[in-house]
Amino acid sequence: MKPAVARISVIDADLTPLIDLAFLLIVFFVLVARMSGEQLPAIPLPQPNDVAATPAGAGRRLAVNVLAQGGSALLTFGGERFATDASGLDRLASAIAQRLRSDPQVPVDIRADRSLAYREVEPAIDAITAAAAQVGTRVTIRVCALQAEGGTP
Amino acid sequence: MNAARAMHGTRVRLAMTPMIDVVFLLLVFFVCTVRFERNEAVYTLDLPQRGRTADPLALQERALVIRVGARAGDAVPIDVQADGLRERPASLDALAATLMLVRRGAAPDAANAGLFVADHPVLIAPTSDCGWQDAVDAFNAAVRAGFRNIGFARSGA
Repeated sequence: MKPAVARISVIDADLTPLIDLAFLLIVFFVLVARMSGEQLPAIPLPQPNDVAATPAGAGRRLAVNVLAQGGSALLTFGGERFATDASGLDRLASAIAQRLRSDPQVPVDIRADRSLAYREVEPAIDAITAAAAQVGTRVTIRVCALQAEGGTP
Repeated sequence: MNAARAMHGTRVRLAMTPMIDVVFLLLVFFVCTVRFERNEAVYTLDLPQRGRTADPLALQERALVIRVGARAGDAVPIDVQADGLRERPASLDALAATLMLVRRGAAPDAANAGLFVADHPVLIAPTSDCGWQDAVDAFNAAVRAGFRNIGFARSGA
């Protein structure tokens, strides 16, 4: 009969995969939060000489983007594209109204390409006003411009 | 040397793969979280009630209307109209100076009485073919002059 050998149990906690997984989860949540947030494409915004506007800041906002595309305007909101015809503007107004119902205090920003004409940006203003009328609230509409480098707000 | 280590039972093994794994994850995390400053500024609009009939019983001040036309070269046709006022500034920079002259309290000297208070409604009325840049420039001029109640009018108005 063999003598009983005392077994020494060693708990070896390998932390590396745990940290690995934790970081993966963080990256995943950061990406998901980004995707569900506002879509702000890079647009050449108007740039007045001596900007008297206030900085946009990092607060919550809705953004209606008016992009110049092939000589015409294209409206985007929340990653979705809208035509500038009557049905497209109705859809845009409904989409804005849906967001305003969940958060009536959030400002709606108009981010329009500076090369566009006023008539091409005007439908965006009309759609936001129509959305506010649908919700029955007074919405804060803001126009976005670009501050000069090193300029004072 | 190895024989000596084996005798003492110590063996240092550096696992590089999980370390590189975590380092790359950190890199991805920072790339995802970095935010480039957009340098954006905003003007708050005070829009007239579009598409609605105004209350006939409500007292409404006549707005100071700034008509902005389509740019022809460097020149932008600008027309400032209000009760008792008709000005045609030569440029968008001159527009700010003109508006500053008509705003009450813009300058401390007594000679500058000013016709309009800072809360007087100002309506930027660009023509349909007016550039968005010029429309925003006109808006900016009104803000620079100290007016607080500024909106855009319909292009056909």
